[in-house]
Amino acid sequence: MDELVQRLPFLCVIGTLVASFCMPVLARWKKELCAPLATLVSGSVFIVSIFIAHYVMQGNIIRYGVSGWAPPWGIEIVVDPITSLMIMLLSGICFLICIYSFAAIKHELERIVTGWYYAAYLLCMAGMIGLVISNDVFNMYVFIEVTGISAVALVASKGTREATEAALKYLLLATIGSGFILFGIGFIYMITGNLNITFIAQELDPVKGNYPFLIWTAISFLVVGFGVKSAFFPLHLWLPDAHSSAPSPSSAVLSALVVKVYIIAFMKILFIAFGLEIFHETFIRHLILVLAVIAMLAGSFFAFVQIELKRRLAYSTVAQIGYIYLGIGLGTPWGLAAGLLHILVHAFMKTCLFLCAGAIYYQTGRKKVNDFSGMGYKMPITMGAFTIAAFSMVGIPLFGGFISKYGLALGSLEADLPILILVIILSGLLNATYYFPIIGQAYFTQEDHAVHHTDGGHSEPKKFQRDQIPLSMLVPIIILALGIIYLGIFPGTVLNFINQTVAMLL
Amino acid sequence: MDLQLFLLNFPYFVAIILFSMGTLIVLTQPNLIKKVIGINILQSAIFLFYIIVGDIHGGIPPIYDPNLPDALYINPLPSCLMLTGIVVGFSVTAFALALIVKLYIYYGTISSPNFMKMK
Repeated sequence: MDELVQRLPFLCVIGTLVASFCMPVLARWKKELCAPLATLVSGSVFIVSIFIAHYVMQGNIIRYGVSGWAPPWGIEIVVDPITSLMIMLLSGICFLICIYSFAAIKHELERIVTGWYYAAYLLCMAGMIGLVISNDVFNMYVFIEVTGISAVALVASKGTREATEAALKYLLLATIGSGFILFGIGFIYMITGNLNITFIAQELDPVKGNYPFLIWTAISFLVVGFGVKSAFFPLHLWLPDAHSSAPSPSSAVLSALVVKVYIIAFMKILFIAFGLEIFHETFIRHLILVLAVIAMLAGSFFAFVQIELKRRLAYSTVAQIGYIYLGIGLGTPWGLAAGLLHILVHAFMKTCLFLCAGAIYYQTGRKKVNDFSGMGYKMPITMGAFTIAAFSMVGIPLFGGFISKYGLALGSLEADLPILILVIILSGLLNATYYFPIIGQAYFTQEDHAVHHTDGGHSEPKKFQRDQIPLSMLVPIIILALGIIYLGIFPGTVLNFINQTVAMLL
Repeated sequence: MDLQLFLLNFPYFVAIILFSMGTLIVLTQPNLIKKVIGINILQSAIFLFYIIVGDIHGGIPPIYDPNLPDALYINPLPSCLMLTGIVVGFSVTAFALALIVKLYIYYGTISSPNFMKMK
């Protein structure tokens, strides 16, 4: 039994990869089978990941050398509590988006690209899972490229002019980013002669006084590289275009998951390979804190001026990435735990918001936030979920976002930087300024002008109608909204996972 | 400056200069094909860097020779890693060119300052 569980994370990646390569072939034969197969694969990975999480929660850590090679020579897979949580999150959200895609893909994409879309989708999922479970920096680079290229393919799959342009921009900047990461890995290899994170930590410890400049260079290259990849504020230029022009299921994956896995990988390298001493001694911590504060404020400001809903959500992601980096920069137990929790909560919120945006586009064809009057009556369930996610984004108690912001505030007290609480509150208020008008317009304004004209000026009393979108789009939205409330009221289970990891890292 | 040390570490300087050049080309050139060339220069710089990291002064290629029991071989691992890097570079180039072909169909040009501007 133990041996089987040890192999499971590796099998998840391989299984998803194999399924992804089957997709284009399957699409030639029967296009209708692609979506069910992708759902089946992501669903079974989700079930397997629950098994893994259960095993890891009993205090075991999975360490598996791929194809029987012992760690310093072979590639090692390590699944600790946060990794198992991330696998569960990745496959779970991918599963929900897959269910949503059944109808959405038929509506938003040309029929001929369906097979290729699902191939890229599963490839992206396999890349993300591989990235979080890998304990080998070069293997991480390979998975970074797999995730990056397939994410670009997800954007480009729409085939419109904007989507192609955004995809090319994303591809070029992401390649520069991974070039920087590869360079940084090269410097680490120069210092230590190892690629396994555990062994790097061992080798680096006695010699770190001898190569201060080289360590500095390695960290700077990695910060720039992972910063571009995860859209850290001044390096976020590719994100708004790519996330707003992609089809809505892909924007949900890109915004909720793809930018986060890079942060997990970066955190592993920073905290485990380099260690806390280097983290505190070099000024990397101060850099991350300053940039995170700027990201939190500037991202929200940029979001405020956007008119298109998906663009607004994309800029909001830039601000939320700032929160996660703030947690890492604080480097205190509460700060780090809140940063990790925010990865999870934000994945739920942003997926929910993007899926709602897609559903609104599906039913009414509207994209601009100022056309949403009366939307709360036409699509009560979708707008209800949207409202829950937006409240959570602002940080209202009883919703998931509150817990992580509260944790960040506690973390900044621990780190003796109370001024950051002001920044967190200010950013939360800015979030309110760009989400609440949408909700207010949806529920509290008059009906459309168009309706007025057809009725001859009589405004009928507003009535709730059931959403005119397929059930397969509605169910994931409802599950995500319930998940946000669950995280807000019972965060204990998840925090338990996270605190185990934080205790290991700090 | 110690000339001997400089000459010994000459390839590192070349790698850094090429890397900076590649990055600059990608970010500043309006022509999309030139941007792709910039990506290739950037990646070649990284390949060069890894190969020098694996180099040992006076080492011979790492092919086992039974006649030379105590020969000094260079470190083959970084060169092997770069095989993966080359494959990645190839696929990125192919993908970028495919996207550029599509953009050419839409715009009728591949060189416009309107591409890639910030919105």
